[in-house]
Amino acid sequence: MFILKTESLTKKYGSESQPIYALRDLNMSVEAGEFVAIMGPSGSGKSTALYLMGGLDRPTSGHVWLRDKDITTMNDDALSKVRRESIGFVFQFFNLIPVLTAVENVAMPLILDGVPRPQALERAEAALKQVDLANRASHRPSELSGGQQQRAAIARALAAKPAIILADEPTGNLDSRSSDEVVAVLRRTVDDFGQTLVLVTHDPRVAAHADRIVFIKDGNIVDENRLKGADRAEQIREKLGRVAMSEG
Amino acid sequence: MNNLGQMTLMALRYLNGRRLRTALTTLAIVFGVALIFAINITLPGAIAAFTQSLSSLTGADMTITNVTGASFAPESALPLVQDVEGVAAVTGVLRRSFTLPAIGSELGSATSIEMIGIEPETMQQVRQFTISDGRFLQPDDRGAVVVPAGIAEIAPQIEIGSTFPLISAAGLRTYTVVGFSAEQGSLSQPTLYLNLPDVQAAFGQPGQINTIEIALSPGADAAAVSEAVLAALGDTYIVDGGAAGNEAFAAVQASLLVLNLMGVLALFLGAFLIFNTFRTIVIERRRDLGMLRAIGATRGQITTMILVESLLQGVIGTLIGLLLGYLMASAMIYGLAGVYRSYFSGVSLGITMSAGAVISAVALGLLTALLAGYFPARAAGRISPLDALRPPTPVSVNRATRSSLIVGIVLMVLAIVMLLAGGQTAVGGAVVFLVGMVAAAPGLIMPLARLFSPLLTLWFAREGDLARSNLQRQPGRAAITASTLMIGLAVLILMAAMVLALGQLVNTLADRNFASDVFITPPSISVYNNVLGADASLEDRLRALPEIETVASLRYASSGLDGTRLEVLGIDPATYPQVASLEFSAGSEVESFAALGEGRTAIVTGLAASTLNLEMGDEISLQTANGAQTYRIVGIGEDILTFKLATLFISQANMAADFNKTEDVLLMANFSPGVEDAAGLAAVQTVMADYPQFTVHLTGQYRQTLVDTTSAAFVIFYGLAGLILLPAALGLLNTLTINILERTREIGVIRAVGGSQRQVQRIVTAEALLLGIFGAALGVLAGVAMSYGFIGAFSALGWEVPYIFPVAGIIAAIVVGVLIALFAGILPARSAARLDIIRALQYE
Ligand SMILES: Nc1ncnc2c1ncn2[C@@H]1O[C@H](COP(=O)(O)OP(=O)(O)O)[C@@H](O)[C@H]1O
Ligand SMILES: [Mg+2]
Repeated sequence: MFILKTESLTKKYGSESQPIYALRDLNMSVEAGEFVAIMGPSGSGKSTALYLMGGLDRPTSGHVWLRDKDITTMNDDALSKVRRESIGFVFQFFNLIPVLTAVENVAMPLILDGVPRPQALERAEAALKQVDLANRASHRPSELSGGQQQRAAIARALAAKPAIILADEPTGNLDSRSSDEVVAVLRRTVDDFGQTLVLVTHDPRVAAHADRIVFIKDGNIVDENRLKGADRAEQIREKLGRVAMSEG
Repeated sequence: MNNLGQMTLMALRYLNGRRLRTALTTLAIVFGVALIFAINITLPGAIAAFTQSLSSLTGADMTITNVTGASFAPESALPLVQDVEGVAAVTGVLRRSFTLPAIGSELGSATSIEMIGIEPETMQQVRQFTISDGRFLQPDDRGAVVVPAGIAEIAPQIEIGSTFPLISAAGLRTYTVVGFSAEQGSLSQPTLYLNLPDVQAAFGQPGQINTIEIALSPGADAAAVSEAVLAALGDTYIVDGGAAGNEAFAAVQASLLVLNLMGVLALFLGAFLIFNTFRTIVIERRRDLGMLRAIGATRGQITTMILVESLLQGVIGTLIGLLLGYLMASAMIYGLAGVYRSYFSGVSLGITMSAGAVISAVALGLLTALLAGYFPARAAGRISPLDALRPPTPVSVNRATRSSLIVGIVLMVLAIVMLLAGGQTAVGGAVVFLVGMVAAAPGLIMPLARLFSPLLTLWFAREGDLARSNLQRQPGRAAITASTLMIGLAVLILMAAMVLALGQLVNTLADRNFASDVFITPPSISVYNNVLGADASLEDRLRALPEIETVASLRYASSGLDGTRLEVLGIDPATYPQVASLEFSAGSEVESFAALGEGRTAIVTGLAASTLNLEMGDEISLQTANGAQTYRIVGIGEDILTFKLATLFISQANMAADFNKTEDVLLMANFSPGVEDAAGLAAVQTVMADYPQFTVHLTGQYRQTLVDTTSAAFVIFYGLAGLILLPAALGLLNTLTINILERTREIGVIRAVGGSQRQVQRIVTAEALLLGIFGAALGVLAGVAMSYGFIGAFSALGWEVPYIFPVAGIIAAIVVGVLIALFAGILPARSAARLDIIRALQYE
């Protein structure tokens, strides 16, 4: 049973005379409890795909099904509600609100959803524990390291217990140690809590933790793989090279 | 948002995070609210106190006065009232409040007193008096006075049997205290009761009363009695009339309106500033807001969030504004006491808290904040979640600026036509011009930038070019900032032009009018209502002096025409032209004054002529103490002595006949040939010792005093311009801050490729300077148009004021504009120069 499915998803930028297709008839589906990595060269449409799946933007044509609901036909308020309740985002830049503490940041989606502040903070504490950041709850973002900020952002995405987490290069701005911590946390949410997760990354070492890897180029899927074995990262690197070389 | 508490918390943290900017923006609200609050806790109080002091309401059931406030003979009215059904008792009273001389008096700190002349027997049938010590007045008492018991607080030496001198129209008179009335009354204006003949003598109004007090029969219907009384007396009388038709009242009300307008203008600029700040905030927090949208905040929630923040500033600004307003009011009362006293003596200035004042200030403060925050808040709501994740896309603005430039130019052309039409239309033209300028500003930025760029290149070399192209990238924002500055500077120029014109007016009129050698003035030179003048004795004694050749005087009465209030001044057409004159715009000195001696004729001031639509030869039906009388206009002329709004000059003979007034309120005299100033002055002063309500001036000195007092009043004009300029400076600071924030990355690049801190600083300074010059250039244009329009409107009101091109004002505006710009540029320039290169490069 899929949690999320795209149907001929197309996104066109630019003018009518000189259209740029960021996505072209993308069909992709994500199963419950699955950890999918999306890879591809820069400008291939990875972020666009992720944003459309999460209802941050609207497609030129095509559909996004979240379980049995087509989110592409919703109005803005309904879409906001979907983002609040069913989708968790993690971005490359952690995007924490600088004037709020870590726990307040994590509680934000709940508060936006009308959960009373004390309960929201309580659930936020739990989410912080899940990402090993309970001891930094009352720190402001500026007092946290990059990795810690990203883990707080992950806690924020987890706080509302979303159906799916969408992460756009969450380790793109981190050193390799922090990067490892963040990926470990993400993997654990999938393994321990059955969280569904789609992650865009450049880094084969990160992608190696995924259950399935989707390679896209020029707005469409060019390859798909379930990799096994200890040298997964090496295999991915090789594959990436081939995708980049292939005719678009 | 469900959780408003959380919003408030966040708003507070954000505001706290940028304390300087928060303070500066909040200040904009503070000033507007303070100004409005200060005005509304002082002036209306003054008006109310004044109204009360003049109100004819006493302890009686009903009072009757002449419509014009004039006195009348009791025989003509009392018997008629007595016969009205429902009237139980009637008594005639002569009462008046007047200002005491500024020199110390026996009555301690009292600045004015109310003197009431009564007939003890009939009065006690009308109302009850409680005597706390001594006795009440007896019918045959002369020189006896009953004082309020409360007077002990200000003049403890007064006891039963004490005597004290008091000014009167016929010189100083001495009174003996016979009793204390239990009523406390006002301590700044104690009420004294005397026998009617004493008061008639003191006021120089023998046989006259000005108020009838009535006691009603038990069960009588007040409304019915009132109607019957009026039917018996005719429409020259009113029942329970107040001070509605008082001159000072009108003047204070006019200034209340003007000052409130200034307050609203300050708030308007405040709104501009908040708008600009919140636009900055929305740009700064684009990422935060986009992120909130990404995690599910609705548009409404984001809008609410920004609104809460601006409202919070509104609340804080309003609270501080109320406090500052209170302090301002206290300072104003303290600082202006002198000026105020000489113009509006008798109007006591004090602070009167009223719910209305608080509510209007609070409502305006909060509304301004909400309104100004609304548009940025709505824009914030429209931020796409993707904005959190993508670099800003440059916006193209050129199309919009072109159409608004066209609209602006059309408006300005229309405005110029209106300005040239003169009159009230010119004021409209001034406003339309300003609106046109605001509309055209974005389109003018580019051409102006090109125009000034050689200058800038000269000062700043390449940094100047960079600064220019930076501004051109956001012409809309640059235009708003320049417009704020423009309004401030235009107001400055307007004020300068008004001061110049009014100063000029005072000077010319003084030259024309002051033909006498000495001036003898009452405590207040613009309000005669509360002045106790002198009867013929003074003029006679002066004329008898060998040192004096001619004496002329001015008398005062109040009247109305078709419901409009008019001041009436009585002059002697034979002597007045020898010591003073008018500046005639219709008729001539010789003919008009000659005509004034024949029949019922009048010379009107320009303001009266324009508001009442009067021309030479017109006949008007003037309200007098004895009913309506027909007067013919024989001249239109201005004078400075009175500085009154709508005034009519008639002969003193007519004033005595129609207004029952023979009291001189101002006198002028010429010395005999060969008499030195000092000798002449000394001679006059011997006589004046008996009339301390007057002050004697040599004309030259008086002129100077008048000019000085007037310039003191002008300081207020400049103060107001300053209040308007402050928000403009804050606006500039804001724009520069946003510009730098948006270009953080670019500044990083400049630094990375070898630009020095100094160069970055110079770029920002050049930008500030350019904005200042734009603002000044626009402000000069708008200021010239505004001053031309407003001064044109003065002429339409009858004050023929020449339009003097405000060169000094323009230079001041340019200097102030540039200084404000440089000053506002300091902080942003410094912070730009100090940016950390690496972090700036990573900034998205
Ligand atoms: N707002 C936009 N306007 C125009 N083109 C865009 C916009 N956003 C993305 N694109 C284009 O769409 C393509 C895909 O972009 P993106 O999804 O960000 O790629 P990726 O994340 O794989 O690097 C790119 O060619 C990019 O230039
Ligand atoms: Mg991307």
